[in-house]
Amino acid sequence: MRLLLAEDDALLSDALVAQLGQAGFAVEHAPNGAVAEYLLARHDFDAAVLDIGLPMVDGLTVLKRARDAKPALPVLVLTALDKLDDRVAGLNAGADDYLTKPFDFPELEARLRALLRRTRPVIAGASAGGGPSPEMGRLVFEREARRASVDGQTIELSPREWELLDLLLTQRNKVVHKDQITAAWGPGGEAPGMIEVYIHRLRRKLEGSGLAIRTVRGLGYLLEAAA
Amino acid sequence: MTRPAALQRLLAATGGSLHRQLLLWLLLPQLVLWGAAAAFTFNVAERYAVAGIDASLAQATRSLARQVKPIGNGLFIDLPRAAQDIIEADPDDRVQYMVSTPPGHFILGNRQLPQPPAPATRGTPRLNEPSFYDAALDGQPLRVAALYVPIGEPGVDDERRLMLVQIARSRASRDELARRILRDTALPLSGVIVLMTMIVWAGIRAGLAPLARLRALVENRAPNDLAPIELQAAPEEVRALAGAVNQLLGAVQESVAAQRRFISNAAHQLRTPLAGLKSQTEIALQANSDPQLAARLARVHESAVRSAHLVNQLLTLTRAEPEAAGALPRELLDLRALVQEVTAEHVPRALQAGIDLGMDDPPEGASALRVRGASLLLREAVANLIDNAIRYAGRGAEVTVSVREEGGLSVVEVADNGPGVPDPAQRDAVFSRFVRATSEGPGCGLGLAIVREIAERHGGRAELQPVSPQGLRARLLLPPPTRPGTTPT
Repeated sequence: MRLLLAEDDALLSDALVAQLGQAGFAVEHAPNGAVAEYLLARHDFDAAVLDIGLPMVDGLTVLKRARDAKPALPVLVLTALDKLDDRVAGLNAGADDYLTKPFDFPELEARLRALLRRTRPVIAGASAGGGPSPEMGRLVFEREARRASVDGQTIELSPREWELLDLLLTQRNKVVHKDQITAAWGPGGEAPGMIEVYIHRLRRKLEGSGLAIRTVRGLGYLLEAAA
Repeated sequence: MTRPAALQRLLAATGGSLHRQLLLWLLLPQLVLWGAAAAFTFNVAERYAVAGIDASLAQATRSLARQVKPIGNGLFIDLPRAAQDIIEADPDDRVQYMVSTPPGHFILGNRQLPQPPAPATRGTPRLNEPSFYDAALDGQPLRVAALYVPIGEPGVDDERRLMLVQIARSRASRDELARRILRDTALPLSGVIVLMTMIVWAGIRAGLAPLARLRALVENRAPNDLAPIELQAAPEEVRALAGAVNQLLGAVQESVAAQRRFISNAAHQLRTPLAGLKSQTEIALQANSDPQLAARLARVHESAVRSAHLVNQLLTLTRAEPEAAGALPRELLDLRALVQEVTAEHVPRALQAGIDLGMDDPPEGASALRVRGASLLLREAVANLIDNAIRYAGRGAEVTVSVREEGGLSVVEVADNGPGVPDPAQRDAVFSRFVRATSEGPGCGLGLAIVREIAERHGGRAELQPVSPQGLRARLLLPPPTRPGTTPT
């Protein structure tokens, strides 16, 4: 997957190029806004990581222009500023996500992949090389085909269970609140009291998949790698 | 121009109080002037009284002189016994008289009446002109009028034909009159002085009252409140003073704001190099196979993480201080929803640290707890409390976040069953900046200071309570929402 990294700090960009490369991305580096614009115009990228504070042409301007030219491009904005206004400005200018420096690389990677999943309806969790990624345990979740399998064996899921699993997977390692589940099930969905029942069923079906659903007291549920 | 030494001493005596100084400047001259006026009035009145008495004495001497007429070689005294009795009868106002001719040679009246003083008798006394002198008779003070009258043909036998008529009156009445005059003038004057003193004193008090108001306004200020002082209806001079103070406050405010901006900018600038440092170290750790180097690199990484954390906390702290916090919008918030979001965000980190993080269910039938505040700041406060629990409760501990109402206040509580902070003094001290309860782990000692600042910006407070048998309850207490426009700073 081709990724544009626009970051002017030499130390940071050097490290990011290496880390993103290792994660399976083909990275092009732009040290300033002018080069970034040039590259964006010339090549097709699957995603872009943009630093707000770029020399020559600042990040927000590059973003706005890129948005006009390529509305579908997922852009994650990096910045040292984290005031509310800056966040809002970034998102208003067209950023899809926002990360403050310094950050943890796994977080950057996870967010990038989340952005990519939205635009590319492929096997969820698949890395650039294809196949199940480590965080997914042994589960293969094909959203388009509506098929879930563990070690090749298909798991039978009712529509509600499917929606529930999909939501948990999308929010992997994050707490999913009961309200979110009810919202995902949509109007005409089950009563909130039924959530526990479905969670229970899903837990049984996920046994042996390397994934587990944790109950977080007072907050909701979380899908994580099984201990 | 140097002040006279006496004035210096006077000022020192008043203890440097403006009040006392004014009183002294206004009352002392008044009292002195009053004294002078009283003395002067008394003097004048006494002189006129004396002149009056002397005039009546003079007239009496002339009348008496007319009663003595020469007949041949003798004198005819036309003074009936009745008249003599009248003259001598008044017990209060004894009138003494003596007629002598030649002068000193007694004819009529009181023989013991003292003669006019020697200077008056030396040489030729003035004729037909009364003279007055003070004398004493039997210990009684007297005022005497003496009149030399020629009898008979003028120019013939002067010595023999000179008559001395003396009328004397007790000075007691004159003194009594003088006293009465003094009383009748001095007493009202004193009353006026007392009244004037009270008015002056009240006037000074009223005049200085704006100063007292200004002082109260300044004294009641919170130490870091740099807003201008509003002084209503004050006189020009005090307004000028308040204006000068406000200018100073403004300058200080600007200076503080500039400092804060600098710290904020510096912290932001630090972030990019720190991010670079962190990322490079991570790569090095990945690529490295040398265990010793790995250990060292791990330390470097830890240091980078710590620095990044410190920078973040510093930025949060500057944002929580009154000036910056005052610029944030205040809105009505659902406290439970906010806390839920923040807690949920921290669950993954808690799990990584081996902590069971969860929330308490709201009590049955409880209505939504609302607070008025800055969402950004309150999130930071709650995040810091939860962050502390995750860092310090230790692997395997349970951390529970609850939101409830206690005595009218909204309380956010993060309770853990970790080692806690057993020493009550330390539980207080950790709220200070850069003070930590432990030296383990990469904390920077600003978390609770941030929570306290944010609590204060919202008119609330933060506290730590122990849990038995072990653990810590970190609590954030917030007041109920007030009307918009009356939010605390």
